Amino acid sequence: MTWQLFVFMLINGLCQGMLLFIIASGLSLVFGVLRVINFAHGSLYMIGAFLAYSLSTILAGESLMGFLILLMIVPPAIAIIGFVLEVSLFRRVYRQEHLLQLLLTYALVLILDDLVRVIWGGEPRSVTRPDLLAGSVNIFGMALPSYNVFILIVGPLIAFGLWFLLYRTRTGNIIRAAVSYPDTLGALGVNVSWVMTSTFMLGCWLAGFGGVLTAGLSNIDLGMGMQTIIECFAVVVIGGLGSVGGALLGSLIIGTGLTFFQLPFGRWALVFPYALMALVLVVRPWGFFGKPER
Amino acid sequence: MDDMTSSSRAGWITGITVTVVLFILPIFLGQLGKTGEYWIWVCTEMIIMALFAMSLNLILGFGGMVSFGHAAFFGVGAYTVALLMKKADFPLYLALAAAPLVAAIAAAIVGWFCVRLLGLYFSILTLAFGQLLYMIVFQWYTFTGGDDGLHGVPRPEILGPVNYYWLCLILFVICFLIIRMIVNSSFGLSIKTIRENMERAKFIGINVRRYQLLNFIIAGAFAGLAGGMLCELNRFAQTEFLHWSKSAEPILASLVGGMYSLAGPAIGSSVLIFLKIFLQQVHRSMVEVWAIVLGVLLLVVVLFAPQGLVGLYQNIFKKSQS
Repeated sequence: MTWQLFVFMLINGLCQGMLLFIIASGLSLVFGVLRVINFAHGSLYMIGAFLAYSLSTILAGESLMGFLILLMIVPPAIAIIGFVLEVSLFRRVYRQEHLLQLLLTYALVLILDDLVRVIWGGEPRSVTRPDLLAGSVNIFGMALPSYNVFILIVGPLIAFGLWFLLYRTRTGNIIRAAVSYPDTLGALGVNVSWVMTSTFMLGCWLAGFGGVLTAGLSNIDLGMGMQTIIECFAVVVIGGLGSVGGALLGSLIIGTGLTFFQLPFGRWALVFPYALMALVLVVRPWGFFGKPER
Repeated sequence: MDDMTSSSRAGWITGITVTVVLFILPIFLGQLGKTGEYWIWVCTEMIIMALFAMSLNLILGFGGMVSFGHAAFFGVGAYTVALLMKKADFPLYLALAAAPLVAAIAAAIVGWFCVRLLGLYFSILTLAFGQLLYMIVFQWYTFTGGDDGLHGVPRPEILGPVNYYWLCLILFVICFLIIRMIVNSSFGLSIKTIRENMERAKFIGINVRRYQLLNFIIAGAFAGLAGGMLCELNRFAQTEFLHWSKSAEPILASLVGGMYSLAGPAIGSSVLIFLKIFLQQVHRSMVEVWAIVLGVLLLVVVLFAPQGLVGLYQNIFKKSQS
């Protein structure tokens, strides 16, 4: 392996990892505060991607402006869908057993995925990249797709934004308090159910954001939600349920691992996330950054 | 005590009546020509999926362990039958006997790791192992045929649609009685104790992990048999049999039917399949929106009737189990 190939694969792997992080961090955040594993997260991500596709055909989004508009409109739209779902459905099952919560979100997967099929049909689609991001950039004498570089810049920005929000603002303090001591937080006069709703919306916003970015990167189809949600589970399990930092580590491991294992193992590399997920659960069920609980 | 014997006698009478009706059913359906043949096929699938749902309920309802990887053992059973009959020319009865055995071995390996974890972590690990097996079957083209699946599983000549229906029905009744025996045995009571209060079960000297593992293996074996039966019915095995969305099917069936009863999952499974086929017959476009119908139905059950159909029945007729 030449070092150019190495760098090339590393960039691709990190790019995949960053994309995965944007989606998985939302799942992890929602689990941390709501204690619900949201199977429907993948479906919301898929809806984000398909919405981006539809909007891009309207906007004729070959200009950078069009693409930025997608990034500004679609994620909030998904957040609004999240708001409706949280207020009308999720709220009713917080005090129920895990199984019922899981089945509620699974019911949403069935409904949302089929809605996407009915609305957009089965064939794969893609969003044309804006001109500015369609070419390639020269780094170290190598031509790298500029869209991947774009994701590599946006990903860390999102990660930094999340860190700043969670650890440097009052809102973040409240969210973290809701993770550890929801009852005390309520006693202090904070509206905990509003904290839950807004965290859920933030998670959905991240899913929508990931959806738009994916639509520009590769073909989008009906299976993407189901596939991604399982990869997100792997990421979140490896990093630790509820830990955003863990999600970052987990997604970078999965992203780079998938890319690098493709060289010696070919398509068998796809087994890697599940094998690693099983291994982590067996050895250290609470993940790298999680805390052992109950 | 008197009440118990009378309710168990009522159970026997219902059971025998239903079995007799199911035995006679294909004779009537056979008169209907092509549609009848189709409905015999549907009923066979219902019986098989009912067994699959009941196998899961051993760990789900009675054991309180939510497995999202149960389809893995269903799929292992299906592929066992397909591989043995296609590549090794095994007769059907040997292949069907091997399916639960191989599935039990797979369940023993997977379960050994899984029962070490509790609650949500158990669920996610079963999901991980299930997807791992799915991926292996998916990628191993030379052995399993990859995403093409294995087609053209041979069918013995004496087993026409009706005879195969009867074979499945007989196997189902035997399995039902075995599962009933397991649930009512001291082993079954211990499993229920673990579900209700694990600490207490440990305290009175139940080896929780060993019981859970054994239960997991038994459930896997029955799932394997169901998978083998479905493989022979469709005469193919495909990767979808192992996918995690297949694992969700018996969970939904158990939820809809009622997971704290023996027959609930079987009823739930049959109702769901019947509803699906019925809606498809009513209008072709219903095929497209079936998942939406199922999802909405599931939402309603989760929000308003978490005890399922059997629970509703008991509520309406004021029959309390405890």
